Amino acid sequence: MALDRRRINGPEESFPPVFDSDALQWKLEDARKDRSPDDIRPIFLQPGLISQANGSAYIETAKTKIACAVYGPRQSKNTTYSEMGRLNVEVKFTPFSCVRRRAPMRDAEDRSIAVAIHQALVSSVRLELLPKSTIDIFVTIIESDGLDGCVASGSVAASTALADAGIELLGLVTSCAASVVGKKLWLDPTEEEARLSKGTLVLSCMPALKKITSVWQTGEMKVAEALGCMDACQEKCTEIHSVVAQALLESAKI
Amino acid sequence: MTSYVLPGQPIPLASQWPSASAGRRAYIASLVGIPQQEGPVLSISRVRPRPPAINSVVLGSVTRLSPLQATLSISVVDGVPLPAGEEFTGVIRIAGHRVKIGDSISLGDARSYFVTTARNDLGVVFAVSEAGKTMVPVSWQSMRCPETGRLEKRKCAKPE
Repeated sequence: MALDRRRINGPEESFPPVFDSDALQWKLEDARKDRSPDDIRPIFLQPGLISQANGSAYIETAKTKIACAVYGPRQSKNTTYSEMGRLNVEVKFTPFSCVRRRAPMRDAEDRSIAVAIHQALVSSVRLELLPKSTIDIFVTIIESDGLDGCVASGSVAASTALADAGIELLGLVTSCAASVVGKKLWLDPTEEEARLSKGTLVLSCMPALKKITSVWQTGEMKVAEALGCMDACQEKCTEIHSVVAQALLESAKI
Repeated sequence: MTSYVLPGQPIPLASQWPSASAGRRAYIASLVGIPQQEGPVLSISRVRPRPPAINSVVLGSVTRLSPLQATLSISVVDGVPLPAGEEFTGVIRIAGHRVKIGDSISLGDARSYFVTTARNDLGVVFAVSEAGKTMVPVSWQSMRCPETGRLEKRKCAKPE
């Protein structure tokens, strides 16, 4: 790992204290810990939290906490002429976001999440109306509980922030993760559950238009399992859509 | 029609709206807001800043002058001020029209928007004389300095 000399560096390695606990000693046959397989964690969503941004949103699903800010549309710098606008997504982890401390530098993980969120959003934004402009989306992961959950919640937060910023959208994007654990299908896996699973899948869609914007699958999965995940996710996305709609309407009426 | 719509939601239309009766597909909202219907125009108003488009009326200040063109930093688009530090760059070329600061637009090249003052009511809103005082417009093409009384040539705007 490279050292950033402009910062006060902590100890090179740090370890979380280890407590005697009933740490996950799951067997594959065991039932899920505190919710049923097709339950998702409760969502708290608040648009317009960051006052200096054009639009923003904060999302919290149990231990996953993400703040998202949208700036722009602003004039593209140093780019060639383009009829279409550009969507720029940047993801940052706070140093204390994970179990192990993260160095305050961008790495491959940030970028792969950024690409996934970009992919989920890009077809919902009417970029053809914003020639020569850039929309900047900054996603700050304050606390992370599983990468798949971060991608899903990050996409929902970013789409809410875009709507809050008054940027023309074809529809609101919602997103849901699913994992295959043993032979069962668990929705919205936590980090522990994702580690236990064979494969995970994140599906993003626009429920209002019944259009899927992106499917992001990792690990190993049978075709039937993948299709089952997608169906289950799509159903949950419709539920998440009503949460997003309510949050946006409440903030619009103030 | 007083209810809010969300992006992706069909806009509820009054029955006298022409295409509502003609069995056309629905109009889908792309913004959060209250749709308003005024004659043939259906709109969701917003006061958020947006980039200039063709036929936008803009307000900006000249940042660089050369004999052939003036560069300006656009700070207001269609009456909506842009946030500080997010100004757009515009260029007024000498070809086709008279003198300085401009208020209207065409999509330009990669770096800037082409702006023109060719319409009658467009032109200079605010100018400073050689003596450093704010000048007062006296006709559509001249302004007077209140201190020295000298006339300077400017193509003046006529804001509403």
